[in-house]
Amino acid sequence: MPGPGRIAAYLEERLELPTIWARFTDRPLPKGVGWLHTFGSATLFLLLVQAITGVFLAFYYVPSPEHAYESVRLITSELAFGRIVRGVHGWGASLVVVFIGLHLLRTLFMGSFKYPRELTWVVGVLLLLVVVLFAFTGYLLPWDQRAYWATVVGTHIADYAPGIGSFLMEVLRGQPEVGTRTLGRFYASHVLFLPAAIFPLVAVHLFMVVKQGIAPLPDRRAVPRTREEERERYRRAKAEGRPFYESLAKDALLALALTVLLVALATFLGAPLGDEADPAATTYVPRPEWYFLFLYELLWWFPGRWIPVATFWIPLGLVLVLLSLPWLDRSVHRHPLRRPVVTSATIAFLTVTGFLTYKGTRAPLPPAPGRVRPEAAGLSPLALEGLEVYARAGCSACHTIDGQGGSAGPDLSRVGQSRSEEWLVRYTRDPRSTNPSAEMPPFSELTDEELRALAAYLGTRR
Amino acid sequence: MEPTVAPPGRASRREFFKWWVNGTIAVIATTLAVPLAGFYLLPALRRPRTVWNEIGPVEEFPEGEMRLVALKPLERRRWPESWGREAAWVVNRGNRFVAFNTHCTHVGCPVQWSPQARSFFSPCHGGVFDADGRVLAGPPPRPLDRYETRVEKGVVYAGPVYRVNERLERAG
Repeated sequence: MPGPGRIAAYLEERLELPTIWARFTDRPLPKGVGWLHTFGSATLFLLLVQAITGVFLAFYYVPSPEHAYESVRLITSELAFGRIVRGVHGWGASLVVVFIGLHLLRTLFMGSFKYPRELTWVVGVLLLLVVVLFAFTGYLLPWDQRAYWATVVGTHIADYAPGIGSFLMEVLRGQPEVGTRTLGRFYASHVLFLPAAIFPLVAVHLFMVVKQGIAPLPDRRAVPRTREEERERYRRAKAEGRPFYESLAKDALLALALTVLLVALATFLGAPLGDEADPAATTYVPRPEWYFLFLYELLWWFPGRWIPVATFWIPLGLVLVLLSLPWLDRSVHRHPLRRPVVTSATIAFLTVTGFLTYKGTRAPLPPAPGRVRPEAAGLSPLALEGLEVYARAGCSACHTIDGQGGSAGPDLSRVGQSRSEEWLVRYTRDPRSTNPSAEMPPFSELTDEELRALAAYLGTRR
Repeated sequence: MEPTVAPPGRASRREFFKWWVNGTIAVIATTLAVPLAGFYLLPALRRPRTVWNEIGPVEEFPEGEMRLVALKPLERRRWPESWGREAAWVVNRGNRFVAFNTHCTHVGCPVQWSPQARSFFSPCHGGVFDADGRVLAGPPPRPLDRYETRVEKGVVYAGPVYRVNERLERAG
């Protein structure tokens, strides 16, 4: 057996590998590279975990509607370690989205995408798009109700693309409704087409990072006036910095923490699998995965002819702004405080996205008999009955109480302060008798008892 | 290192090889891309043949009552159209039957009929439709889609799905 030294010498003589490796790990990073710079390597690590667990899942998964659900059930509940492997893949998908997002924000706030790294940023945005497509196509594969209905909604959104909507939707689905061909297309995209796209993109992204070096930390005061000054400043920052292998220790520690987290999530929470997909179901409540919730929630705000704003123009605008950011934010400044427009626009975007995501998690449920809400405590029997009428008759589709409900009609959280119970009974039975221009439909089907109970409940809302 | 200035006579030779390799790549790419694009796109655009479905005997539908019915195809569907059940909301309007598609016209969520409210509710973005499928509230852009229906020998059947406009006239 040759020792490691002899193997190294063998490889050195033929391929110079030890020298190349040493130049790679010994290269100096600019001063100040710290924990915030680990998000990119964490994303890469998570993508590798996804690739490996994905390959193993493919050994058992069957991409046909007749067998997909059963094969995932088999993986999850019968095969040894199946719950862990699928759990790691499922939670890993969420973590990839988290870390690619953090990496993007770090790059954006530090202005690292500026000269000479504009193309690194563009390739990074393309990688984000591929990750989003991975998430979207992978979500259908378990073929449970969640998967099926999220895909019905997700592909229906393509129907609003101006001019080519229905063509695009049917090409995505492979047929008019989500079915056999949709699963085949999503599977082939998820396990063949997208991996073939992401590997060269990652390779190019990494090549650019190594070739140009990690961007220097932004400095609020020292602003280079010329590109020559910029390069000189970077040479000094590298001279004062530490070699790459020291930074690699941080990356390794984070990767270890993520591995522990993934295995823990997979062990204790597993990967959910609901009922099998059923296009004839009418009681299922479709909800997308958390990272698409802000787009889903946005649909509340653009009704009727404005729908394409939420389904097409805003997503398209976001992608175009991200792709062209290096040419929109052209100043020499990198420090976030010296770029107030970009910084405040990003914070505004994050606030709106966070708000929409929060609203999305609290979206009103449709009316269903027997669904009683927690604030029922302390209500009189009549008002309690009224609360049930409120739920059954679907009032929450248009009205909000305590932040729950639709926005088409007035907020009823304090309606008892301004309206008497008699008025509420009269108005609900026939709104136009009180206000000829009322848009609310008459609820003449409700009995007098139901109307009185409803009014009693609304009367308690003060 | 490559000489930066080609010796006389070499430039055109170099140009020729460049042109030859690029041209070959273009021809190969086109030859493969045409069948692959057609293979991916065209099957999606072929209309599946319409299969009529049995809804049920007329006497099972009291006038004015909205019922959820699983559609029973009159002939076996061929793979890949064979997967999946289909359901419709069906109501007897006395002189005719109306069968509504169960998907909301906004983004396709399954609508549920509420007899108390005499309305359809979508669980996603607050879409509400009346008993004729007209939009009462929320973002849906058009009334509920419908199935063609016919009654033969006391049995109701559902055919192709069609869209209607705000006046409930057939559209598109």
